[in-house]
Amino acid sequence: MAFEFKLPDLGEGVAEGEIVEWKVAEGDTVTEDQPLVEVMTDKATVEIPSPRAGTVESIPHEPGAIVPVGEVIIVISGDGEAPAAAPTTEAAKETPAPAAKTPAPVAAAPADTTPSNDKVIATPATRKLARELGVDLGHITGTGPRGRITKEDVRGHVGAQDTTTTASAPAKSAPVAAPVTPITTSGGGGETRTAYRGIRRKIGDAMIGSAFTKPHFTLVEEIDMTEVYNLRKSAKPAAEAQGVKLTFLPFIMKSLVAALKQHPTINGIFDEANSEIINYEDVHIGFALDTEGGLLVPVITNANRRSIFGLAGELGRLSAAGREGSISREELNGSTITITSAGSIGGLFATPIINYPELGILGVYKIEDRPVVRDGEIVVRKMTYMSITLDHRIVDGGEAARFMNTMRRLLESPTTLLLEG
Amino acid sequence: MSSTIQRCLAIGTDHPATMAVPELDRATHMELFKQMVFCRVLDGKLLGLQRQGRIGFHGPGAGQEAAGIGSGFALQSDDWVYPALREGTVLLMRGFPLEKYIAQMIGNGADVQKGRQMPVHFSSLEHRYVSLSSVIGTQLPQAVGTAMAAKLRGQKIACVGYMGDGASSSSDFHSAMTMAGKQKPPVVIFCQNNGWAISVPFSAQTKSDGIAVKAKSYGVDGVRVDGNDVLAVYQVTKQALEKARAGDGPTLIEAVTYRRGGHSSSDDPDRYRDKSQTAPWLLVDPLDRQRDFLQATFGLTAEEEKDMETSAKSQIDRAVKLAEAADPPEPKTAFEDVYAVMPEELERQMKARLRDSTAGIAEGEFPL
Repeated sequence: MAFEFKLPDLGEGVAEGEIVEWKVAEGDTVTEDQPLVEVMTDKATVEIPSPRAGTVESIPHEPGAIVPVGEVIIVISGDGEAPAAAPTTEAAKETPAPAAKTPAPVAAAPADTTPSNDKVIATPATRKLARELGVDLGHITGTGPRGRITKEDVRGHVGAQDTTTTASAPAKSAPVAAPVTPITTSGGGGETRTAYRGIRRKIGDAMIGSAFTKPHFTLVEEIDMTEVYNLRKSAKPAAEAQGVKLTFLPFIMKSLVAALKQHPTINGIFDEANSEIINYEDVHIGFALDTEGGLLVPVITNANRRSIFGLAGELGRLSAAGREGSISREELNGSTITITSAGSIGGLFATPIINYPELGILGVYKIEDRPVVRDGEIVVRKMTYMSITLDHRIVDGGEAARFMNTMRRLLESPTTLLLEG
Repeated sequence: MSSTIQRCLAIGTDHPATMAVPELDRATHMELFKQMVFCRVLDGKLLGLQRQGRIGFHGPGAGQEAAGIGSGFALQSDDWVYPALREGTVLLMRGFPLEKYIAQMIGNGADVQKGRQMPVHFSSLEHRYVSLSSVIGTQLPQAVGTAMAAKLRGQKIACVGYMGDGASSSSDFHSAMTMAGKQKPPVVIFCQNNGWAISVPFSAQTKSDGIAVKAKSYGVDGVRVDGNDVLAVYQVTKQALEKARAGDGPTLIEAVTYRRGGHSSSDDPDRYRDKSQTAPWLLVDPLDRQRDFLQATFGLTAEEEKDMETSAKSQIDRAVKLAEAADPPEPKTAFEDVYAVMPEELERQMKARLRDSTAGIAEGEFPL
């Protein structure tokens, strides 16, 4: 009987480990307590000795793979005597070894495959969902602890059965690190699997850190950009003469700097480890840059000491460096507030996520002609929405509204930027 | 200047012996060595079991064998022990069965603590060995308190409270030492100064010239001993315990040693200390020193040592097998040992739970 060795919790509450180096190869004979593999976790890099003697049948993960705790990392077959297994692994032994590259469910399915709702494990909510969808739980293989059927399993089962709706099956929002059963398509369409790592994973970790620790709120204001539009138009030749591409963003940045002077509590970071809110006199603006590799946030340092042309020049330089991949690590660090302008690509407005550990993020969106009422008349103006998203632990709604009033006032009469900016 | 470190086994010519080797027969000397060999084999096995997910946690003690074995060997069976993290082998020396020891590390039904404590937090009333709390230093006032009780009752016993160097900064250390100095109960506070409190080096822990010197300010005798010299540790602990039992007051012993590995199985010392810091300590290995002494004085053979290792391995493997064969703790034990008479509501919950488990309803299911 082949022995499947699952990655144990190597620290206290470690969720996953990265395979650093295999000390054995498939086909090798191993003795009990012989070093098998080096695994790096959040806490430590450790060497795992073999729990039994035998022959290495398969090694499903290459060095560099990030493996959740509980997943099989090596299969050992042969003469060695297996250690008395913990009760939770008994059921798992009944299932055949998973083929390499197939994500193995943490816990095995119940051995009894007779369709019946009597012996399945599922919460009342899941049972209710199954009843509503007319699904027999006995036909579903659970992916939860001890083969428990989750709501996602039930929905996945429905999606897999109904070929006409497969294409439009809702994207799964699986809980972190829970095993996922891939949707089985019978329409013949292929699938693409991409490892979740590198910049994508870094973005993901940062988003989780921000979205699930910071209580966000977003305030949206409508702003008339006609004056900025005209000013930009008239200043464009001068900018071009200096080799600067003048977009709307430098005007918004200049307004942001001026507004933050009046609302300094929004500019800074929350140092949770030391229970300290740090506000800065200087403004370092991070701006969300959409690159092929993913989201980057280059930082315009000391934005409060730069002219509009100066901001535009720096914006152009950092954007180019970011897209080329030549941007330095220092240029991606140290922002005190961030602007996201993804909305200029499309959408009315969004609900951005704060760039952790900052206090706020300004959202800027597309500028378009809209009919508005001015002095009792309907006129066409260059309109936009602008949002401020703040950490509600630190800043309250009243201040958000006052800040946005300032932004609006500055942008609607941009000559004041000469005086206040 | 540093206070003198007492030792029986010289280190080269720079660090000569300050005490005579205790007068023990060959068998006893060999036994001390055998215990240390056992201790090291067990330590390696337990760390491996943790890496394999068969136990949840371990506090490795390689390099510190002499401090535990030497002090544990000086204890009498009616003395009380209040351990810290790295004195599990003291419990084994008091006759605690090895398979029960492993069962505690697993936390299964064969564990005398019924799987309720963290691994390594052993406890046995019969062996007068009281579970540590993971909180640093809490065992010290408990040891002093127990010793005060023994004094009031006129018992001729002693209590030992173990600690690490980090605990010397705890308020419990201060409380314990204050009361020990005032009340003069039969207690020995034994500090394994292994140089590291998890990632905090001793140099950052305190500017004190060692731990033993602190005893003076509390009116307690302080002794500094080479913690990698099992004979010296045994000697000073025995003297301190005898003094305590005779009513002549407490002692603070500082055993100077070194933590070679991580603080625990969750710790990676390579992240905060350079390997070159550990290297010199490998030259004063407690097993090497006792081996050299035994070879020179009692003719220890390589075969005798090999037998000790083989015997340790087979005993440990057998105990692991026995311990792993046990089932998880009975579900009903989760309801017991809180009330002398179980309240009705708790009994109702217990019965409901037991009914569920006999009906084969698995964890996580809500019987509808």
